[in-house]
Amino acid sequence: MGIRQVANTEAPALTAAVDVRDLWMAYRPDEWVLKGVNLRVPKGQLWVVMGPSGAGKTTLMKVLAGLLPFQRGTVEVMGFRLRGDLTPPSRRVVGYIPQQLGLVRGLTALENVLLGSLARHGGLGPTLGFFPRSEVTRAREYLEMLGLGDKAETRVFQLSGGERQRVAIARTLMQDPKLILADEFVSDLDLPRAARILETIRGLVRERGLTLVMNLHEIQLVQELADHVVVLKDGKIVYHGPAGTLEWSSFRALVEAEDGRTGVAGW
Amino acid sequence: MAEPGSLAGKGRDVNLRRWQGLSGALALLAALGWVLGRMGFFEPGRLTGGLVNFGRFAAELFPPDLSVLPVVLGALIETVEMAFAGTFLGFLLSFPLGVLGTRTLFPRPVVLAVRLVVAVTRTVPSLLWAVIMVIVVGLGPLAGTLALAVYTVGYLAKLYAEILEGVDPEVIEAVRGLGARRHHLVRYVLWPESANTVLSQLLFMLEYNIRSSTVLGLVGAGGIGFYMQVYISTLAYSRLATVLLAVLVVVVVMDVLSAWARRHYLLDT
Ligand SMILES: Nc1ncnc2c1ncn2[C@@H]1O[C@H](COP(=O)(O)OP(=O)(O)OP(=O)(O)O)[C@@H](O)[C@H]1O
Ligand SMILES: [Mg+2]
Repeated sequence: MGIRQVANTEAPALTAAVDVRDLWMAYRPDEWVLKGVNLRVPKGQLWVVMGPSGAGKTTLMKVLAGLLPFQRGTVEVMGFRLRGDLTPPSRRVVGYIPQQLGLVRGLTALENVLLGSLARHGGLGPTLGFFPRSEVTRAREYLEMLGLGDKAETRVFQLSGGERQRVAIARTLMQDPKLILADEFVSDLDLPRAARILETIRGLVRERGLTLVMNLHEIQLVQELADHVVVLKDGKIVYHGPAGTLEWSSFRALVEAEDGRTGVAGW
Repeated sequence: MAEPGSLAGKGRDVNLRRWQGLSGALALLAALGWVLGRMGFFEPGRLTGGLVNFGRFAAELFPPDLSVLPVVLGALIETVEMAFAGTFLGFLLSFPLGVLGTRTLFPRPVVLAVRLVVAVTRTVPSLLWAVIMVIVVGLGPLAGTLALAVYTVGYLAKLYAEILEGVDPEVIEAVRGLGARRHHLVRYVLWPESANTVLSQLLFMLEYNIRSSTVLGLVGAGGIGFYMQVYISTLAYSRLATVLLAVLVVVVVMDVLSAWARRHYLLDT
């Protein structure tokens, strides 16, 4: 007990946002999807994970988000040690945007954003549909900021792809996360629109000193956006280095799967 | 261009499937004939005699004896009340049970236990539930209401568990990732993602229960069925006619109302 508290209150400046050591994960016994992943992401940086389809990128994100149990290794996220249960203490500081966004289609944009405040309000009010006024104001402000002020009362199934992406971002911001995990959440958009969304999220991350780890496969975007690139292949990290000095030509071989497909767009 | 040979082959496949379908239909018809035959359907005189009997019965129905209308209306209102109360009581139990029977939300033992209970409930027909409830709470509409409620649970809880399990697990996972608890998930993911289907099934159940509540009185569980039984056993067919007409009106009105409710409240997703 005492030891765990010490770990959790370790000086924030010294801990990494993500600290993964020898992480092994399997959905079914002995079918390892993650095979000894080591990953240390310093606070305030923007990291991109690349790799062929099926490499385990989504799985890694979900483990970091505290949504999947794992079998071996240690995972620390924003100083909280994850144990593979479904209610890790890191919930309040870690935002997760899944590939398909995970918005509730039948709720309005505003209601979806308000869901981001649920972790702060365990009481009966939100369950009955009453959120504190301050939260509603904040949710509206985020929508406004992302250019969705006039869509607040629109149900998600009536929004366009790009608008949904921004609702998902607003919902994550509503959580007040210190770390945002994003799983290829712009891959359904065309390049210019994806670039705009990423520009937005990068601005926010920089401005607030957040950390962002995301899966992304458009190479142009990676070059523009990331501080650091990690390549995950067959459940192992096979490369990591700063995005700026990357040798893209030799990098290609790393990302290539056995069948020659790279899972990377724009070569 | 596809090879002509392969096209002909496809044609043969299609014909073969048609023949299979046709012989299947003929086999079903033959089975129907055989079963009806065993019941005396084809015996000469049986049906024609039946027709004459029916004619006599129908003649005695008319004109309906409207003097019993006040009594019949009272019983009819009781029937509708039973159907409403039974259906909603059943619904109030069914939704939570459906939630408990959702594998994406609850551990396997809980889900299996709930589903077992619901399955057992479903195997008992509503009239039998009425008999049981009469034994338990005595004669009258309370017995009928409880019978309908239990019967409703048998169907709705199963349907709801299936509907709720159809909700996209990625959405559940994402909202869980926001720090939502299980009751939040029910309120903000499962309910909005399934409300349309859930309510539409509820309406269907209400229509169904209005119909079935009319016969519960046969076993003393309240409602208009009591008068049906009395008028049949005393051969007061013109009074029975009044009862049947009243039931018809209620069923038609209910169908119209629920069609209206569907159009106005359930179509916009
Ligand atoms: N829920 C699951 N149950 C069982 N196996 C799974 C599950 N989810 C993923 N897998 C398997 O784990 C492996 C890694 O999947 P994952 O989704 O993490 O890959 P990915 O790198 O995100 O791929 P992509 O680029 O196509 O999204 C795959 O072989 C996949 O089949
Ligand atoms: Mg993936």
